[in-house]
Amino acid sequence: MRVLGLYVERDTPVHKLAPFTKLMYAVTSTVVTFLFPSITVGILFLVLSVFLNTIARVLKHLIALLMVVSVLSISIFLIQGMFYVGNYTPLFSLLRLTFYKEGLLRAVVLVLRLFNMISAFGILMLTTRPSDLIDDLVRRGLSPNVGYVIASVLQIVPQMLSTATRIIDAQRSRGLEMNGSFHKRFKAFLALIGPLVLGSLLEARERALALEIRGFEARTKRTFLKDFSESKR
Amino acid sequence: MGSTEKIKIESLTYAYPFSDKNALENISFSIMPGECVGIIGRNGAGKSTLCLALTGLVPKFFKGRYSGKVLLDGEDVRQISYEKLVTKIGLVLQNPFSQITGARITVYEEVAFGLENLGIPRDEIKQRVEAVLKALDLWEKRDENPFELSGGQLQKLAIASVLVLQPEVLVLDEPTSQLDPGETKEVFEIISQMKSQGITIVLVEHKYEMLVEYVDKIIFLQEGKMIAFDEAEKIFSLPEIDEYMVGEPIYTKLCKKLNLKNSRGYYPVKFSEAVGILREARCGSDR
Repeated sequence: MRVLGLYVERDTPVHKLAPFTKLMYAVTSTVVTFLFPSITVGILFLVLSVFLNTIARVLKHLIALLMVVSVLSISIFLIQGMFYVGNYTPLFSLLRLTFYKEGLLRAVVLVLRLFNMISAFGILMLTTRPSDLIDDLVRRGLSPNVGYVIASVLQIVPQMLSTATRIIDAQRSRGLEMNGSFHKRFKAFLALIGPLVLGSLLEARERALALEIRGFEARTKRTFLKDFSESKR
Repeated sequence: MGSTEKIKIESLTYAYPFSDKNALENISFSIMPGECVGIIGRNGAGKSTLCLALTGLVPKFFKGRYSGKVLLDGEDVRQISYEKLVTKIGLVLQNPFSQITGARITVYEEVAFGLENLGIPRDEIKQRVEAVLKALDLWEKRDENPFELSGGQLQKLAIASVLVLQPEVLVLDEPTSQLDPGETKEVFEIISQMKSQGITIVLVEHKYEMLVEYVDKIIFLQEGKMIAFDEAEKIFSLPEIDEYMVGEPIYTKLCKKLNLKNSRGYYPVKFSEAVGILREARCGSDR
């Protein structure tokens, strides 16, 4: 994995939209389903989000994300269907467990809300490069320092993971046992964490120097290499 | 009338915070425009600290006890505005990996990053980035993730990211220490190109055989003090060079062993000169 993130490279109108626009859509469609907790509103926004994901040709990836929350959805149906505080109309029984209409309807609203949130943010995450999102936010006033911290985490964490793997291999070749009792594994953890943390701190310092050298602290108005049509002034 | 030196250091003394020992002590020298100057010395001699002082990062980034002056075109680096300073002097560090900012996910964007920060117009950014990437033979890699480049390519990327800012002075702190011989040669070829374009270069390097082929002069540091600042052959012919244990080019060592000096009375430092002297010595012994 080169960069943390779910971005899928495509050339579609949805990909070309400004990241901030997509972020606003995701936030709006999520907030609306909370403000108007009805099945109709939930289905409307879900259909819209699925449509946009289809235009963006990332529906397959969205379905993969939705599969992850489907287990949670089943538990929502079970718990709300049986134990929702407003339950009074029994609908059916299964293995001596009674499911109520009010609870199940509420579960539909909650699951739609969840699926809608995943689909709406899916448009953002699947069709937007993280660095583009951060740049767009910086362009609109986010502190460049905060933007850099977020952007660099997405790149550098995978590198730290591969560094950790190399340290583990090096320690193993020196006879350090990584498996076994808790004591052995804790010792192994200490042998890994020291070089990894110290090495990361030293790299962070050099990286900070690299940022200084590249004018990161300049007070001039930044240029953004990428331009999104909605961002033009 | 202002000074004609590109860089002038006057009695520079510096100690890192919480340190009793001076990392640099009473350093003074001048570098003329377009010169290429090497810095040699053992670990802890103050080479990296001197590089940081040249770029103003000491004392801006590293506080501590600082006295003396570092003048760039006659102006104290501490007084030059940050935006102007980064376009006048650039720094390339030892570890190519940690010079990748991590803020950008392609080589092209990484090189453009500095220009974006300085508010350079978009068209000019594209022009400059393309020119630099092509000059350093990285154009084919422009869409790749920087972290997937080899060590040599990463170091070239670090150099490109600084060169794109069009500095007048470039400071390189052991740029080839983590590179293989082929990659080292590539970096030195870039240095040679920059020298021919008139960029003033300061280069810390332990690979003396390569260093002496490119530098006009060498600064020899030991425990923060400047022992000598002179041409390479004079530095490596100093009687005390052995007791400081900094090493020397292998050809110089060979000629010292055979007590073969050039016409100026110094031990040769360059390969071609050493070969010439050894041939003459052999011809002399054949007669």
